[in-house]
Amino acid sequence: MYTLHDVGDQALLVEFENEISMEVNRKVVALKRALEEQRLPGIGELIPTYRSLVIHYDPLTADLDQLKEAIDQGVKHLDLSSLPKSIVTEIPVLYEGEYALDLEEIARIEGKTEEEIIRIHSQSDYYVYMLGFAPGHPYTARFENPFSFKRRETPRVRIPGGSIVVQLGLSDIIPFDQPCGWNIIGTTPILACDYRKKNPFLLKAGQWIHHVPVDKAEFMDIKRQVELGCYQPKTYEKEG
Amino acid sequence: MGIVVENPGVLTTVQDGGRYGYEQFGVSPSGPMDKESFQIANILVGNPRDLSALEATMLGPTLRFTQDNIIAVTGGDMMPLLDEKPLPMNQAVLVKAGSVLKLRAARNGCRTYVAFAGGLDVPLVMGSRATGVQNKVGGLEGRKLAKGDEIGFLAPKTSLPRMAERRTDHPMPAGKERVLRVILGPQDDAFTPQGMDTFLGQPYNVTNDFDRMGCRLDGPVIQHKVDGNIISDGMVTGAIQVPTSGLPIIMLAERQTVGGYTKIATVITADLPVIGQCRPGDVIRFQSVPVSQAHQLWREMQNRLNTLDQTLNAPAPQAQPSVQAHQPPVYPETTLPGPVRRYRITVNGKVYETSIQVVSQ
Repeated sequence: MYTLHDVGDQALLVEFENEISMEVNRKVVALKRALEEQRLPGIGELIPTYRSLVIHYDPLTADLDQLKEAIDQGVKHLDLSSLPKSIVTEIPVLYEGEYALDLEEIARIEGKTEEEIIRIHSQSDYYVYMLGFAPGHPYTARFENPFSFKRRETPRVRIPGGSIVVQLGLSDIIPFDQPCGWNIIGTTPILACDYRKKNPFLLKAGQWIHHVPVDKAEFMDIKRQVELGCYQPKTYEKEG
Repeated sequence: MGIVVENPGVLTTVQDGGRYGYEQFGVSPSGPMDKESFQIANILVGNPRDLSALEATMLGPTLRFTQDNIIAVTGGDMMPLLDEKPLPMNQAVLVKAGSVLKLRAARNGCRTYVAFAGGLDVPLVMGSRATGVQNKVGGLEGRKLAKGDEIGFLAPKTSLPRMAERRTDHPMPAGKERVLRVILGPQDDAFTPQGMDTFLGQPYNVTNDFDRMGCRLDGPVIQHKVDGNIISDGMVTGAIQVPTSGLPIIMLAERQTVGGYTKIATVITADLPVIGQCRPGDVIRFQSVPVSQAHQLWREMQNRLNTLDQTLNAPAPQAQPSVQAHQPPVYPETTLPGPVRRYRITVNGKVYETSIQVVSQ
């Protein structure tokens, strides 16, 4: 059902099945919620990843037996149906020219037109498994592989923040300039991490994103609003 | 004002206790590499232990004071000079405006802390003033100090009670050999018995690939059963990653929040200052300990810090408690224990909930 490991002397690791799937990831999200609601003394941050949850604790104030019991009860009574409705956040994407450096190559590899590639990328929601690597960087995926390619042969030394990069069933938003070996399918004007905001992060583990094609004029307009700090990303509850 | 950076040194950053609560969003906690020395420096100048101070690496900065303040220098011995005269370490000292503090190359240890009474005035970002150089966040514009930078003092002081007693002993270990105690796992089962013997039996050298993110070690290859890849999971400071190459990397203050390599063990929290003060060329041996022992060592370290803090900074007995207005009424004996009263207090921008209860009178 789950395994429990010590991670040093101030954290525990709860592991579910050794696979990347939404079913397993939803257990992680549900256990995190269950433990957060209990507000046990001495418990620090909970860090959800694909298939496991890291639970930080303060050995001076936490009761480790109580925590382990809470984990055990939490897993036994995991109620996935009680998870709140998933939020979908719309990600406006400009799939054009210098903003979509690899779109032409992607279309060539896949033997499709650029329009078809754009439609494929923007027709399905992607699930946010977790955040990590860089502040606000989401690990997102859908449940089939719309594309056949993986990484580029040679990684780029630096790609701009806002790049939307893809491989197989994965699609990531790059929050800040960084090296990257994935193909750039488009660029979003919105920020995955904005330190000016009280909550700097666009997304959270367990949510969804949906890419929405925009033209250059819309892109520039949203970008201006983002710079002024007045852009509100569109969000809605996921159907079903 | 406060200090002007005349020479920044190799890597000098503003740090505080660390940026906690945002790891689930990918933000590294950052904070000091040797938290013990860092906290001793703050205690010596009468500060809360995790207040903003400077961390210098290998070759320290030269700082000109534009305002009087009390400081303390701890950690690695960078042979500090104040106006060209040797400045004692691990001791509170009043520095006058116009004076120049010069830290030189570390004679021992690797990281030196300079605490200033009242702390350093840089903006709070997500509740912390710690610089994350990798995340480009916090401190001074998310970067290391540069020549000409000016940093203000938050609440400088020209006098502190018990000034003559504000000194302690906190030497760096001698020699090049270090033992790091570890808790095995969480992926120790990914290694062969021979691999585990190698890890726990053989010495590892600290390489030049040693920064605030992590420390790469060189030595005998640690054998995996299959390879060093896992489905990415959460990380803690002190985690020892062993990728398929078989050479360990100790993840430190500015580590990433998740990782996809097998983690053979985790350095116990009480020994993180030891690795934080290692230098390239030092030799590390790993020793496995049970969690209960690690907790005991952590408790002992906290007790030492508490004792120093209480000796130097406990309010004088005649002082009026500053929260008198909020003190609960005295309850008659028949109602013991009294009702639990909850208070919210804000320290360094973090909100804590605390509860008090009358249990005897």
